[in-house]
Amino acid sequence: MLIRKRRGWEIPESAATSEAVFRDRRRLIQALAAGPVLASGLLGGGMRAMAADEADPSARLYPFKRNPKYTLDRPITDAKYVEYYNNFYEFGTDKDIADAAQALPIRPWTIKIDGMVEKPFTIGIDDLMKKMPLEERLYRHRCVEAWSFAVPWSGFPMAALMALAKPLSAAKYVKMETFMDPKVAPGQNQFFYPWPYVEGLTIAEANNELTFLVTGMYGKPEPKQDGAPLRLAVPWKYGFKSIKSIVRFEFTDKRPVSYWEALQSDEYGFWANVNPAVPHPRWSQASEREIGTDKRVPTLIYNGYGEYVAQLYAGMKGDQLFR
Amino acid sequence: MYPWYDYQRRLSPLKLAVFIALFVPGLWTAAAFAIGALEPRPLTAAIHHIGLWTIRFIIIALAITPLKAILSWPRLILVRRMVGVAACAYVLIHFSLYVTDEAFNLATVAHEILVRIYLTIGFTALVGLCVLAATSTDGMVRRLGRRWQQLHRLVYPIALLALIHYFMQSKLDVWEPTIFFGIYGWLMGYRLLAARFAVRGWLPLYWVAALGPVAAALTALGEAAYFHLAFHAPLLRVVAADFSLQTGVRPAVVVLALGLAVALAGAVRAVTMPAPKGRTRFARLPASQPPA
Repeated sequence: MLIRKRRGWEIPESAATSEAVFRDRRRLIQALAAGPVLASGLLGGGMRAMAADEADPSARLYPFKRNPKYTLDRPITDAKYVEYYNNFYEFGTDKDIADAAQALPIRPWTIKIDGMVEKPFTIGIDDLMKKMPLEERLYRHRCVEAWSFAVPWSGFPMAALMALAKPLSAAKYVKMETFMDPKVAPGQNQFFYPWPYVEGLTIAEANNELTFLVTGMYGKPEPKQDGAPLRLAVPWKYGFKSIKSIVRFEFTDKRPVSYWEALQSDEYGFWANVNPAVPHPRWSQASEREIGTDKRVPTLIYNGYGEYVAQLYAGMKGDQLFR
Repeated sequence: MYPWYDYQRRLSPLKLAVFIALFVPGLWTAAAFAIGALEPRPLTAAIHHIGLWTIRFIIIALAITPLKAILSWPRLILVRRMVGVAACAYVLIHFSLYVTDEAFNLATVAHEILVRIYLTIGFTALVGLCVLAATSTDGMVRRLGRRWQQLHRLVYPIALLALIHYFMQSKLDVWEPTIFFGIYGWLMGYRLLAARFAVRGWLPLYWVAALGPVAAALTALGEAAYFHLAFHAPLLRVVAADFSLQTGVRPAVVVLALGLAVALAGAVRAVTMPAPKGRTRFARLPASQPPA
C-alpha cells in the first residue's frame, strides 16, 4: 500500500489557478510590459533584450511562477557568476567558455525519446515546453570541485517528461546525451575523450520530485554556456550529473556509463551524491566555497536535500554512492 | 651585495632586468586579485597562477646551464641562483595562499598534505626548494664548497616532483604539464649527453639538434601511453594527432619547436661569434662562483 505524506507546500487541486486565468496571465504581463519596453526601445539595453527575444522563441514565456516550496539557506548567486563561470568541456577545459558557447545553434532543437518506451518519438523543444508544467525553483548547485551556486532555475519536473515518455516497466535507467557537433564545439574534436557527454539516473531518481529539467534561469531563457536549451538539475548530486544541452533520453535496463565515469571512474562515479564525509580522492568535500559571498561553508549530506532523496538509497551502502 | 651586482660589484643590466622580471607574474596576480579579475574564486585562481609560475621558474632555472653553453653566453649563469630563489619564494606564496584558502586551519592543511598524495608530493618539493634556497647565500656557497653542487643537484628530483604534483592536480586537460614533462626530458637529456660528449663544457650542436626530436618523440609516446591507459584512447590515433591540428597544437609539437629553436639559435650564434671568448672569461671568475 502506498502511504503518501502530504508535505507543507502541496496544495489541493481545487486551490490551483484555473487554466484560462493561467494562460491569460501572459497577455496581461505582455500588456504591462509593452509600455516600458517601447519607452526604452531607443536605449541599447532595450534593443539587446529585443534581439534576444527574436533569437529564442521561448523568451516571451519567462519569467515562470516561482514554486515557493524550494527555499535557500543562502542568497541567490549573482547571475554574472553563473553565466561566466562554467564547466562545459565541449567548448574548452577552462571556466571561461561563455563566448565560445555562443556558436551553439539552439533552434531548431529536437529531443529524441527512445529505448524502452511504449512508443519512441522526437519532439522540438518549444513543443515540449508547451506540454510541460513550467515553474521556477531555487536550488543549490554543488560542484564536485568544492564550490557552489544558488540558482533560480526555470523549467519543469522531470517526472512530467517521464509521464510523456511512458517508459516500459523493464526500464531501470534513463540515459541522457548532450548534442554532438565538433564543428560548433571544438572540445569534441578531442577524440580521446568519450564524446558525447552522457549522464544517467535510475527511474526512481528521474521521477523524484526534485529532479528538474531546466530551460532557463534568472527569469530568462538558459544561456548557451549554461546548457541551453534543455539541461538537468539534480541538486543533491555533484554538478557534473546535471548534464547540459540534452538531445536524447534513452530508457534502458543497463546502467549507463556517464562521461566522467568513463574517464576516471575512481573519482567520478554513477551516483555522485553529495556527502561531506566522503572525500574526492584528491580533495576534501567537507566544505565548499560559496561563489559570490566568498564564504567557505560546511557541505551538507545530499547537499541539504536528504529529506527528499535519502529514501532512494535505503539499503544501499558504501562510498560509491557518494562519488 | 645587491642582487643587481655581478661578481665584480658592477651593475649588471642582465641581473637587474631578470630581478625585475621575476616580480612581474606575482605583481600581476596581486593586481588581478585586487581589482577582482580573479573572481569568482580568486584564491583558487591565485594559487594556480603562482604555482604555475613556480614550475616555470624551476624549468627556466634548469634551462640556464644548457642555454649558456649553447648560446655561448656565460654571463647567463649570473641569474641562475636568482631564478631558483624566486621559485622558492613563489612556492611559499603558493602554499600560504593554500593555507589562507583553508581558513588558516593548520590541522586541516596537515591532514590534507598527509592523505592527498599529490599534496604530499608537492609539499616534499616545497621542502626541497626551501633547503636549496636557504643554502643559496654567498656564505653558504663558500662554506659548503664542493658539497654545495652535490646538494643542489637535488633540484632535478625536486623539479620532477613539482611536475608530478602539477600533472596530478590537473582535472582533465594535461596539455601544459605534458609540455613541461617534455622540456624536462630535454633538459635532463642535455645533461646526460653533456656528461658524456661535451668538450670543455660545450656539447656539439648536432647533439643539441638531435635532442629536440628525441624529446618530442618521448613526449608523444608518453602522452599516447597516458591517454591510452587513463582513457583507453587508441595509441596510434593519439600519436597521429600530433601530425594534424585537428586537436590543436599537441605538446610534442611544442617541445619539438622549442628544441629546434634552441638548436637553431645555437647555430646562428656559432656562425656569428665562433670564438669561445666567453668561456675563458668565465674560467677566471672567483672561486666562490658556483660551478656551471
